[in-house]
Amino acid sequence: MIIKCPYCGPRDVIEFVYQGDASRTRPEPASTDQAEWNRYVYDRANPSGSHREYWLHSGGCRQHLLVVRDMSSHAISSVSFARENTSSGDRR
Amino acid sequence: MTSSRLNTGGRIERSRTIRFIFDGKAYTGHPGDTLASALLANGVTLFGRSFKYHRPRGVFAAGSEEPNALVTLIDGEVREPNVRATEAEIHDGLVAESQNRFPSLEHDLMAVNQLAGPLFSAGFYYKTFMGPAIGPLRGTRFWMFCEKFIRRAAGLGRAGMAADPDRYERMNAYCDVLVVGTGPAGLIAAETAAATGARVIIAEERPVAGGSLVSSGELIDGRNPAVWAREKAELLAGLPNVRFLTRTTVWGHYDGNVLAAIEHVADFKPNRTEGQPRQRHWVIRTGKTILATGAFERPIVFPGNDRPGVMLADAVRRFAMEYGVAAGSNIALFTNNDSAYDVARTLSQAGVGIGTIIDVRTDISGTCRDIADVAGAELLLGHAVTATHAGKTLSSITVQHFNAQTGRVSGAPREIKTDCLGVSGGWSPAIHLASQAGGKPEWDEDLQAFLAPEAHQNWVVAGSAAGYMDTISVLSDAATKGSAKHRAALPTVDAPMFDASPAPVYQIEPDGKTQKAFVDLQHDVTADDIRLAYREGFHSVEHLKRYTTLGMATDQGKTSNVPGLAIMADARQIPITAAGTTRFRPPFTPVSLGALAGERYGDLRPHRLTPIHDWHLSAGATMYDAGLWHRPMIYGSPGETIEQAYIREARTVRDSVGIVDVSTLGKIDIQGPDAAEFLDRVYTNMFSTLPIGKARYGLMLREDGIVFDDGTTWRLGQDQFLMTTTTANAGPVMQHLEYYLDCIWPDLRVHLTSVTDVWAGAAIAGPKSRAVLESCVTASKVDDATLPFMGIVHARIGDIPVMICRLSFSGELAYEVYCGAGFGTAMWEALISAGTPFGIVPYGLEALGTLRIEKGHVTGAEIDGRTTAHDLHLDWMLSKKKPFIGSAMLGREGLQDNNRLSLVGLISLDNQPINGGSHIVADATPREPADSFGHVTAACYSPALGKYVALALVKHGSSMIGRRAYASDLLRDKHGPVEIVSHHMFDREGSRMHG
Amino acid sequence: MAEIDSPLGSNYIAGEHGNVAAGIGVSLAERRNLSIIQVTAWPNTIPTVLTAIGSATGLIIDNKPGLGRVAGEKSVFGFAPGRFLVTAASADLETRLRSAISADLGTIVPLTHGRCVIRIAGPASEWVLSKLFALDFSEHAFAVGHGRATLHHDIHALIQRVDQDAFDLYIFRTFARSFWTILGHAAEEVGYRVG
Ligand SMILES: [Zn+2]
Repeated sequence: MIIKCPYCGPRDVIEFVYQGDASRTRPEPASTDQAEWNRYVYDRANPSGSHREYWLHSGGCRQHLLVVRDMSSHAISSVSFARENTSSGDRR
Repeated sequence: MTSSRLNTGGRIERSRTIRFIFDGKAYTGHPGDTLASALLANGVTLFGRSFKYHRPRGVFAAGSEEPNALVTLIDGEVREPNVRATEAEIHDGLVAESQNRFPSLEHDLMAVNQLAGPLFSAGFYYKTFMGPAIGPLRGTRFWMFCEKFIRRAAGLGRAGMAADPDRYERMNAYCDVLVVGTGPAGLIAAETAAATGARVIIAEERPVAGGSLVSSGELIDGRNPAVWAREKAELLAGLPNVRFLTRTTVWGHYDGNVLAAIEHVADFKPNRTEGQPRQRHWVIRTGKTILATGAFERPIVFPGNDRPGVMLADAVRRFAMEYGVAAGSNIALFTNNDSAYDVARTLSQAGVGIGTIIDVRTDISGTCRDIADVAGAELLLGHAVTATHAGKTLSSITVQHFNAQTGRVSGAPREIKTDCLGVSGGWSPAIHLASQAGGKPEWDEDLQAFLAPEAHQNWVVAGSAAGYMDTISVLSDAATKGSAKHRAALPTVDAPMFDASPAPVYQIEPDGKTQKAFVDLQHDVTADDIRLAYREGFHSVEHLKRYTTLGMATDQGKTSNVPGLAIMADARQIPITAAGTTRFRPPFTPVSLGALAGERYGDLRPHRLTPIHDWHLSAGATMYDAGLWHRPMIYGSPGETIEQAYIREARTVRDSVGIVDVSTLGKIDIQGPDAAEFLDRVYTNMFSTLPIGKARYGLMLREDGIVFDDGTTWRLGQDQFLMTTTTANAGPVMQHLEYYLDCIWPDLRVHLTSVTDVWAGAAIAGPKSRAVLESCVTASKVDDATLPFMGIVHARIGDIPVMICRLSFSGELAYEVYCGAGFGTAMWEALISAGTPFGIVPYGLEALGTLRIEKGHVTGAEIDGRTTAHDLHLDWMLSKKKPFIGSAMLGREGLQDNNRLSLVGLISLDNQPINGGSHIVADATPREPADSFGHVTAACYSPALGKYVALALVKHGSSMIGRRAYASDLLRDKHGPVEIVSHHMFDREGSRMHG
Repeated sequence: MAEIDSPLGSNYIAGEHGNVAAGIGVSLAERRNLSIIQVTAWPNTIPTVLTAIGSATGLIIDNKPGLGRVAGEKSVFGFAPGRFLVTAASADLETRLRSAISADLGTIVPLTHGRCVIRIAGPASEWVLSKLFALDFSEHAFAVGHGRATLHHDIHALIQRVDQDAFDLYIFRTFARSFWTILGHAAEEVGYRVG
């Protein structure tokens, strides 16, 4: 599999580390809502189809990338820097 | 036996002779020969014994699809099994051996397996050896009894035990267009693509280009097609934008237009130049791939079809045209399609006589009739072969009338003398690589073959791989596939016209008892096995494959898949297209593990060395692999055991002073206006309150509340920190921090840089450590006022700038001294010589472990991904003033449970060592199984306590203190009494380090 | 001032190695006595930082991924968004950069001690490097002056093309000796000279 890093260009998947589901939102840091935290930490959708996920380009520019990938075909439809795509709601 | 070398023909170099050995006997051949062609030229037709029945087998094909003629190549102690004799090029001194025979190929004792035929039919293993033991001759125990006999009887070649001394390499390649195959389609497609200026890689599995052209006997541009192909290939190879790889098999087609190929760089050479790899593993990233992989001829299945001397019709032609070898002296052909007539035409041109052509069809074209006429062959239309006769090699065949519409055999058998029967059952496009990166192959009724599926990546098939079966349409198809823009001028082709459509006949099945009819020659799967699978309910192709092992041998059923599916479809009375087919998987042909490992083999695993590494070696340290790091375990004196050495080292630290290399600790430079805020969020304790010039011990949790890592972090400036992590977690901690900055808090202005390699570090510990520093450190005082506990000073040792932080892992008065890594050895030597008057000793990981166990300090053994701060008695580090990563989930019921394992110390009561990993049990006598209520995480002899001690995680930890239990390690036969004590086993008040 | 030890130690053996009968495919050398400084700009200060690097070194580059420039012993290239490696033979490089780049423009991390710089030069440079790194080393994909961050298995590397057939490899110091051995191994096939 090849991921097109917006900085480094297309690179082999061995240069990247999977960093998990990018579609979840971290609760307010001070939140004590255990159900909300439980969803954030443990619940994953595992869809057959399009999936937003983080990949760290650890063997290159060391940026986290937001990758949209089809989980059944591995086809990647978009790659961008995670910092530029984190909605303000995620910034906690 | 009468295969032999023809007087002329082939691309072999007849002026040179090569000597090689097969099964202990010396033979000769010529450069250009494969082992198969050279042995056939010597009249050898028996190549091996079959997988299950040990039936004699000969050469069946002439290329990579060969199912039968597998040999082992031997180079000294090194054995390479299951090499296709049809691909192995001979060289002087080559030693090869036949396989799966005992004691010899000629006299094989296991051939009795043939008598036990039904015993080895489909599902034999499942029926006999699976499930509960009912009676003595059933079930798993019976398997365990039979296994060694069966393993000897059944199977392929035997791997050697000696290490492979050869070198393998990986090569990364990039191109715009990859062309796989250099038959007519590959050459024209590559030429067209190259003309556009694109970067082109061409891969050909054979030693020379040309593919089918080499043996076609057609005229291209009025010339010998082999010469035309060679010149075209030379022209392409000379272009600056083309890389032309021969002896290179593309075997895998992966996501993102990445293809894997093996180049046989030197397998075929008797001597290699220095540094030359035997094989090179190419990983090719391409914009577009043109699969010009050609087509494989497939056999017709008939009784006795596995006899040496029965081979594919086109293989007979290839041996004659490429190697100048007549595969027999009296050749017969058996076909359901026109291509056998093209073979007859070429063979008669080459001076190889054809006695008989047996065709299942009754109506054939005038062209075919004329060819039979010219060749002087007897033409038996509406006939089929129904048996073969021979000892070890073919002597005659039986033919009978055959009705291609009904599939019925009738009439009186007639015996025809022949020593070589060329069979053609039609052609299957080689869609393996297409199938690996595409959808489901599609059945073509006209060709009676599967065509390439819908592409899931940027590839196209060209030529006969795309179903074009004559050279003219192959060339024009390939030209359009090579480039949409550029059109090549196509050469003229002088060739007879044939119909590419075979009669849909896959098996000849006479009534009554017949000889075995094989579908998969390599796995000895017969037509009866497939019908048996049908009767027993294994109907889907996936079930069929696994139940009978059809197509699961090393040839992946290149010649057997379609006949096998056709027979199943026939049994189910459905069309083949409804039966479907399995997907092809990598590798296309077997790949050696060495080639996949490439340069990452043996001692070439990277090592991480600290800046002081060479000093450790010269001081006689015994080194220890800690991940990729090499670290001193002990600095043993002559005659000392490991235990004696670490006890001496640890005791010296407590008594006077020791020094240990801590350069391996992870170090992260953290800078920016939000650095302190960031640390407050990632550590459980507060760092924004840390004064400049001070360090603090910090604890990090994961989001789920479990402890992640610990270490000290030093505040070097208002906006600058130096974080240290455990050696093992340096990478994961960096990733963890980067994740939060990139994905969760991108608004924080913080920069992270790994500086692990920038600094050399030495921890100097013991009551005399301050005195040592005082004697060598300049530019700063190191007294208690200037350098208090957790204080930092910038100073010099000699002319080396250093940073000194007073902190302790050993529980003694101790300092960590850091300098630029390139000065590490000089600093270390300066500290050693300053310490010599005080009796300083260097100490290794064992003593470091001993000192921390005595103090109950945790490391990775206790921070094991399951423990909480509470479990490790580190609750005091959990700030209540701020949220931090993990704070929200820390209070979960399960993490607060009293039953959790928590950290305790253990003292051995029988004065025996406690084994790491022992279980903590209540029983005084070993019992299996016993209820474990904890386990030992680390153990040593404590010189400070004069006892064997350990750290352990134990249920109800704190309330167990003072109780007796047993540390049980039955695997290593140890079971001893211990007392559970506080994890602070030594100097509980910490008076020593504050001294 | 003490001299910085080479991490290559006794594995650095000057002379000719491997299949030199057919010529020298590459030469390998360690570049010593360099100052290696990492400069990282804040997202909104990248052009300003590049100007500052230019004023401190005389090497001016645009803000585009992987761009770089080489002039004699001096070089600069980007290898991550806003992150640049600046190298020079002069010991005052860090001071010059610090005076040109204040904390509100970006951060500076001296990596002099933490990296080993290996220069590979010669007609077979691309061939040898392609054995170890999954990068397109052809000149149209990787132009002179440009930099790349990549890795060989566990060994991270920054690579700058310093000439048509020459590259500087910045290797983490603690991996350098292992990498040097691997590189020599890969170069044996084409013959190589050390020193
Ligand atoms: Zn990147």
